[in-house]
Amino acid sequence: MLRETGYAVMAIGLMATTAAHANQNQLELQQNPEYWATQLGNYQGNRFSELDQINRDNVDELRAVWQFSTGVLRGHEGGPLYVGDGRLYIHTPFPNKVFALDLEDEGRVVWSYEPDQDSRVIPVMCCDTVNRGLAYADGRLFLGQADNTLIALDSETGELLWEVSNGDHTVGETNTMSPLVVHDKVLIGVSGGEYGIRGHMTAYDVETGEQVWRGYSTGPDDEVLIDPETTTMLGEPIGESDLGVSTWPEGEWERGGGAPWGWVTYDPELDLVYYGTGNPGTWNPEQRTKDGEPADNKWAITVFARDPNDGTVKWVYQKVPFDEWDYDGVNENQLIDIEYEGEQRKGLAIIDRTGFGFLLDRETGELLVAEKFAPETNWADSYDMETGRPNVNEQYSTYRQGVGVNTTDICPTAMGAKNMQPTAYSPRTGLIYAGINRICMNYEPFEAEYVAGQPYVGATLTMMPAPTQNGSMEGRMGSFIAWDPVAGETVWEIDERFAVWSGALATAGDLAFYGTLEGHVKAVDIETGEELWRFKTPSGIIGNVNTFMHEGKQYVAVLSGVGGWAGIGLAAGLENPEEGLGAVSAFSALGDYTKLGGVLTVFALPD
Amino acid sequence: MTVLARSCRGMLSTLVALLPLGLVQVGLADEHRITGEGIGAFVVEDGKVDPDTYDGYIVYTRSCMACHGPDGLGSSFAPNLIRAVERRGWENFAGTIASGREIQPGQVMPSFADDPYVMGNIPKIFSYLRARGEGGLGRGRPKIIESMQEPDAEQGEQDEDKDEAAEEASAE
Repeated sequence: MLRETGYAVMAIGLMATTAAHANQNQLELQQNPEYWATQLGNYQGNRFSELDQINRDNVDELRAVWQFSTGVLRGHEGGPLYVGDGRLYIHTPFPNKVFALDLEDEGRVVWSYEPDQDSRVIPVMCCDTVNRGLAYADGRLFLGQADNTLIALDSETGELLWEVSNGDHTVGETNTMSPLVVHDKVLIGVSGGEYGIRGHMTAYDVETGEQVWRGYSTGPDDEVLIDPETTTMLGEPIGESDLGVSTWPEGEWERGGGAPWGWVTYDPELDLVYYGTGNPGTWNPEQRTKDGEPADNKWAITVFARDPNDGTVKWVYQKVPFDEWDYDGVNENQLIDIEYEGEQRKGLAIIDRTGFGFLLDRETGELLVAEKFAPETNWADSYDMETGRPNVNEQYSTYRQGVGVNTTDICPTAMGAKNMQPTAYSPRTGLIYAGINRICMNYEPFEAEYVAGQPYVGATLTMMPAPTQNGSMEGRMGSFIAWDPVAGETVWEIDERFAVWSGALATAGDLAFYGTLEGHVKAVDIETGEELWRFKTPSGIIGNVNTFMHEGKQYVAVLSGVGGWAGIGLAAGLENPEEGLGAVSAFSALGDYTKLGGVLTVFALPD
Repeated sequence: MTVLARSCRGMLSTLVALLPLGLVQVGLADEHRITGEGIGAFVVEDGKVDPDTYDGYIVYTRSCMACHGPDGLGSSFAPNLIRAVERRGWENFAGTIASGREIQPGQVMPSFADDPYVMGNIPKIFSYLRARGEGGLGRGRPKIIESMQEPDAEQGEQDEDKDEAAEEASAE
C-alpha cells in the first residue's frame, strides 16, 4: 500500500534524527485512520475510528477470524495496538507478558516478552492485577509493569531497551496504567490510593528512561509544580500557596493518595496533558478533617492540566473536595471541540465516577456543565456552577453520619457510576458513548492506622443494584449510554445485567461497540442504540474494543478475560435489597455466566 | 498499639495450642437456633447471631471481602470461603491466614502475620464463616441476638479494635 510505504520511509528518516519527534511519530500514526496506535485511539481520548468498511448495513456478517489465548487468568484491561507493521501488540495482567502477533498468520507469535517481577506486588494491588496496555512511538513499545518498572522494548524484536523504577511496591505503590508518549517523553502515574501512597505523575526520556520531571498530587506547590500566581482554578489564579499541605490535617498529605492511575489525554495545539487524581488517602473522612471541620484535601480528585515539557500545572479543577465516598477522580478527560451557547469551545468532557457528566473549557478550566448521567446519583443534588463545588446531600454524607455508622443506599458506589472503562466520542454525532455502572452502596467509615505497605482504607462497603426507573431492567447493574455532553442529557440507554466495564468504540460506520461482563461484544446502531450484532467471547470483557485496517480489510479486536474490580465486587452477585420480591436472576452471580481466562478475538467481514 | 500487638501474639499462641482440637460438631437445639461448638463457635437464631460471630462479619468485611467477595461468597480474585472452611477446617484456615499461599503466578494469598487486627480475630472470622455454612446464616450484615447483647454496646460500635491497622483492601 502506497500510504504504508510512504510512512515506512518517513519513519526511517525520523529515527535517524532526534527523539524530539517521538510525539510527531505518534501523532502521524494516530491521524492515519487505518491504525490504532494509542490505547484511546488518539491523543484526545476519543476512541473514534473513521473506518466504515464495517457498518450498520453489514455488521451482522461480522465473524471471528482467529483467537489467541494469553495463558493468563486475571482481568484483561486495555487492548491491542496496530501501527501498520502487520502485527498486533498485546499485553497481559501480571506477570505482564507482551506479545507481537502476526496479523497475516492468524496470530502466530512473532516474539514475546515476560518481565521477572516480585510476586509480593500482587497482594498490594487493590483491584486485581490488571494492566491497561502498551504505548508506542518510533519503533518502541512502552509498558508499565505491576511492580512500577517502566520498560521500553524494541517493537521489531521484543528486545529490552531500557527500564526504570517509578515506585516502590513495598510501600503500596503499584502500576496498572498505560503510559502515554508526548514529545520525547513517556508519562506514567501510579496506583496505590488504598495504601496511603502519595500520588505522582512522572515523565521519562523515551530514549534513555531518564526522569525528566515529577509532579505530585499533594504537598507543597514546588512538588506539585503549581505556581499560585499563574496556575488557575475555575479561570482565576489559585492565589493561596501550598494548598496541597494546608487543606489536610498535620502531615496527612504525605499519605494523601491522589493516585493518577487512569488515562492521560493530550491536546497537541495547546500542548497540555490532562488527567485526574484519585481518592484522598483513607476512606474515613473523619481522619481528613482539619480542626474538626471538613477540609478540601487538595489536590485529590482533581483534574490537572499540565505542560508536558516540564510538568508545570496550567489549571486545576477539584471535582470532589473532602471525599466521603471514594469517588476516585481518575476518569478520562475527553477532549472535544463543541459549540456551547453559540460559541466554538475547546471542551473537556468527563463521564465521572460521581455520576455527574462534566463539561469544562480545556483552555481555562472553567466549568460549563455538570449534570447527572446516572439518574440514581444521590450523594449530591447538583453542582454550584460558581464555586464548582457539589451540593452534598446530608443524608448520604458519610462524614455527617459519622464513624461507626453505616450510611445506607448511597448512589453511586465507590466503584463509581463509571470506572476506568474509557468512553468513545463521535465528532459526527457529538455524543459520548459510555459503559456505566448502576450500583449503590452502604458505607461505614472506621478509624484506620497507617502502616507502610498495608491497606489504608478505613471504610466497609456493601453494594446493591441501583433502583430502577420506569421501564428499565429490574436489578440491572449496568448500562451503555449515549450522552450529550453539552445538553447534559442521556439520548439513549441500553440496560445490561452487569456493570458495563469495557471500553467503548464509535466508528464512521454508524456503529458503537462495547463488551459485557458475561463476555458479549456487541455492536449497536450509533443513532438509536439498537443492537445489530453480538458475539460471545470465552470470558467477560473489561478490555476495550479497538479497530484498524490492514491490507484493505477492517478488523475489530478485543481482549476478553474477566476480573478487575468488577470481577471482585460482582462475581458473587450483589445483595437484593428487597429480598423475596422476585427478580432473583437479575441478582445472580457473574460466575454463572463466565470464568477467568485471557483471549484476544479478532473479527472481520467475510471475503 | 504495643499492648494490642502483645495481646495478639498471646492470642496466636493460644490458637496454636488449640489447633489439634479441630472442630466440634454442630448442635441443633431447635428449628430456629443452630449452634456450633469448639473453635469458631457460633449461634444463629432467626437470622441473628452471637456477638463474636457478628464481630467476625465486621472483620471479614474489612479485611477479607476485597478479595474473597461479599459474605464469603468468593470473587473472580479469590475463592468462596464458606466452602473452604467446611472442607479444610480450622488448622488449614488459620495457617493460611498466618502464612499466606502462592497459588500460581498472578494469584497470591498474602500472609496476615504482621496484621494484629486480623491475627487477633481469626476465631471470630471462623465463627462467621461457619455460621454462613453450617449455621445457614444468610447474606448481609447480621443482627445480634437481643439476649446476647453486651450492655452499653451499640451494634455498630462493637468493633473494639477500631484503632488498629484495618486490612480492608478495596478499590481503585
